[in-house]
Amino acid sequence: MIYLNRNLSHLLLSLALVILSVSLFEPVLSWIQVLVFCAFVMRISLYLGIQKHSPSIRTLNLLALLSGLVLAYFSWQLGVLLGMVNLLVMACSLKLMQLRNQRDYYQLVASVLFLISCGFIFEQSIIYSLIFGLCTVLTLLSLLAHFSPTIPFTRLNKRLLIMTLQAIPIGILLFFGMPKLAPFWQMPTSQSAETGLSDTLTPGDIANLSQSTELAFRVTFDDQIPPVQERYWRALVMENFDGKSWTISRQRNQLKRNNFVRNDEFRPRLSGPFYRYEVLASASNQRWLFAMDIAVPDDQRSDGAIWQSYDYQLMSKKPLISNFKYRVKSFPQEDLNFTDYAFDRQINRSIPTNGNLRTRDWARNLRKMAGSDRAYIEALLDHFRTGNYRYTLKPELMPVDQIDTFLFDKQAGFCAHYASAMAFALRVVGIPARVVAGYQGGEMRENDYLSVYQYDAHAWIEAWVDESGWQRFDPTAAVAPDRISLGLQAAVEDEGSFLDNRTFSLAKLKSVAWINAVRLGLADLDYFWSRWVLGFNTEAQKDLFKTLLGNLSTGRLAALSLGTFAAIGLLLAIFYLPNWHPRKVHPADKIYNDAQKILSSYKIHRAHWQGPLEFAQKVQSFCNDKAGQAFTRLSKLYIASQYKKSDGNHELAKKQIRMMRSELRKLKTALNNPG
Amino acid sequence: MQDKIDQAIQQISKVIIGKQDQIKLALSCMLANGHLLIEDLPGMGKTTLSHALAQVFGLDFSRIQFTSDLLPADMLGLNIFDPNEQSFTFHPGPIFSQLVLADEINRASPKTQSALLEAMEEKQVSLDGTSHPLPSPFFVIGTQNPLHQSGTYPLPESQLDRFLMRIQLGYPDWQAEKQMLQEQNDDVTQQIEKVMDLEAFQQLRQQVFTVHVSDNILNYILRLVTFSRESEQFPNPLSPRASKALLHAAKSWAIIAGRDFLIPEDVQAVLPAVAEHRLRTSLADFTGQTSLSNKLLEAVDPLAA
Repeated sequence: MIYLNRNLSHLLLSLALVILSVSLFEPVLSWIQVLVFCAFVMRISLYLGIQKHSPSIRTLNLLALLSGLVLAYFSWQLGVLLGMVNLLVMACSLKLMQLRNQRDYYQLVASVLFLISCGFIFEQSIIYSLIFGLCTVLTLLSLLAHFSPTIPFTRLNKRLLIMTLQAIPIGILLFFGMPKLAPFWQMPTSQSAETGLSDTLTPGDIANLSQSTELAFRVTFDDQIPPVQERYWRALVMENFDGKSWTISRQRNQLKRNNFVRNDEFRPRLSGPFYRYEVLASASNQRWLFAMDIAVPDDQRSDGAIWQSYDYQLMSKKPLISNFKYRVKSFPQEDLNFTDYAFDRQINRSIPTNGNLRTRDWARNLRKMAGSDRAYIEALLDHFRTGNYRYTLKPELMPVDQIDTFLFDKQAGFCAHYASAMAFALRVVGIPARVVAGYQGGEMRENDYLSVYQYDAHAWIEAWVDESGWQRFDPTAAVAPDRISLGLQAAVEDEGSFLDNRTFSLAKLKSVAWINAVRLGLADLDYFWSRWVLGFNTEAQKDLFKTLLGNLSTGRLAALSLGTFAAIGLLLAIFYLPNWHPRKVHPADKIYNDAQKILSSYKIHRAHWQGPLEFAQKVQSFCNDKAGQAFTRLSKLYIASQYKKSDGNHELAKKQIRMMRSELRKLKTALNNPG
Repeated sequence: MQDKIDQAIQQISKVIIGKQDQIKLALSCMLANGHLLIEDLPGMGKTTLSHALAQVFGLDFSRIQFTSDLLPADMLGLNIFDPNEQSFTFHPGPIFSQLVLADEINRASPKTQSALLEAMEEKQVSLDGTSHPLPSPFFVIGTQNPLHQSGTYPLPESQLDRFLMRIQLGYPDWQAEKQMLQEQNDDVTQQIEKVMDLEAFQQLRQQVFTVHVSDNILNYILRLVTFSRESEQFPNPLSPRASKALLHAAKSWAIIAGRDFLIPEDVQAVLPAVAEHRLRTSLADFTGQTSLSNKLLEAVDPLAA
């Protein structure tokens, strides 16, 4: 019964809710987590009998009102999606404290199931999928315990296990066979999932990024794998400098928009050696993609989804709200001179009118001494190489004249500092220069695929020299060659600042062999998951159908879909067949039931515990005489056929049935004509 | 035979006025060869009913008033040394009767209670290694006072179900009590005539076994006991002994109603008397609360195929 406090189903449901809310650690506000935990403790104490009563409805109403007000206050910052998810978790926890009747319980079950599906908005990795799966199973177990409270727990588990195993083939069939429909509504973008590069580069940003072990993207090369020094993954080009931060130029954005409207896509004619590879980008809610220079989409599908722009960037036509897979061809030896020099030159030489005066003087002097642009660039790189510069992830704050402070006072920084300073020094003397943000390097997994993490984020510069187009220069490489050749961890080894804001991170313990093996194993698993499960979209499904069917004609597709449904139907039929088997109804039962139905229409119902004799008496007292007598005779015949000893006399039985039928008719007429 | 049963009921009704159902239940309990527990306040006619039952069937009757100092030997009898014969001879106690009224059974010490219950079960008395069979038929009608529990030993739950039925007489209604007050003669034995001899009574008991039980009825009984086991509303579910008792009592009820087959109403009629003391064992909730057996009855549809 629902009112019992020692209710296993409630305990299980609250456990599911707790696990769920903990797994949604980031989106759910911490005080709501505490609320959930309180409700859980309440349920436990009710279950163990420490407490006898759940809190009164008045207390809960007050709590709900207060929580609602606080949540409403926070919702301004949270946005609609997070606000709603938080509201739902809060409502669930309050409902859990109460649970007065069946309806409360069903509501809570439905809400928890809905919350589980909401969880996939925030997390889709294999670990979270397992956690959400566990929550679903717990909820189902709770439902099972609710409906059969007397069955021991072990038997419940067994039954649930069997049912889950039965559901798995259906799930697999649905996953592979169901046509993947486009979503009916836009998936709300979640704020908390916005990670990755930012479109503003104020030195200081990338230091934070370097500390994140989240996966940025994965690359699978078709054949040749470029050496680590060549693995510069372009993501963003920043051409506007306001003295403090580098941003994407407004003119460039304007141009891109115009090009897009005119459908004028950048299509360089490329030749020479190339790398072919497939990139699986993690969801970032942004549109920029990652590729090595000069990249063009490699197949029809990628081409359709990607827009190329004149700054050699690849953009997705839709924000990456989930993992996105595309194929790219990169031509590393091509010069970047396919674009309109005049435009590039115009926006890439402007500097703010004041600020960083020391750098301006120093740069002009250096340029004079060098003689040519190329020599000047060499001199700059040489300056970084031989000067007293240091690569660090913990630079000091440089609030004013950041470049001056960096170049002449602090002389310590990370890639963004160096890139920013060098690009500025070039612009000062009139050489077009810009900052490119992206990733550098990546971790190779047994020549199989390359994982690039957020801590591989990097910034370098491009300068236009000698009419040979944009050329890449990486001042960071001059200062800390290890950063490029060995990765971030080697570059800051002395400092010990690699991932030092993470108390526990497997990536930090790379040196311990077995931990590294575990970490790489997990990465493999995650790769498999993202590629084959999360990446199984419409196109992948089409590919699968193609390998199954050969060519894709409409008829064959339809047959496949129908076949899938038929298979599912068959599986369900096997499950339900025992219940569908028609039960043999005794003819006497049937006639008696008919009589009951007729009487019901005259508002005379048999209480479901009443026996036939008692009911006949009741009918007699409620009906006119004729009907009452007819029904009494019918009841007597029914009793005789159902309970009396039958001597195997079929004739007699048949006669009884005939008589019952005639009594039924008499009953009908008597009821219709009460006169 | 049927008119004899009707006569018996009519005879008993002369002294227990307006309690047809209870009389029928008591009769069917006897026909089903079971022992009867009557639970009621003093002065409701418990003793009178037992007397009348003995009288109607011509059974010899004895009454044992249970007190806290009653010893088993006082009830069962004892071996006494006979100096003339130079041997022990057995002097049977009051239990050696066809119908024994164990009055206020919960007043006796557990030792005495269990001696009685053993005799009820075994239909014999074992004393110093010899067993003395009790007369046949052998019935015990136990009475209990549900109130005034101080200084009593309530029957343990495990032994309550040795009684096939537990009934309550309750207050008579206005008319019945008025009629009772108008009666001049107070002596039960004078009012009641014997309607059946022992042979006829035994024959009737044999007839109970011949009552036809259809599959539908068996299923109904099984649904009832299964529901009591699966629902959480019943702290003490019905045992297989209870389902057997239920069937047997219902058959006797059918005989009394003059039928040679069982219908659901028979089961429903005896279920409260047969099942209530098994479902709810403590005396404490004698008053108030809806009875568990009614709850059970209302939960199960007799016709569900």
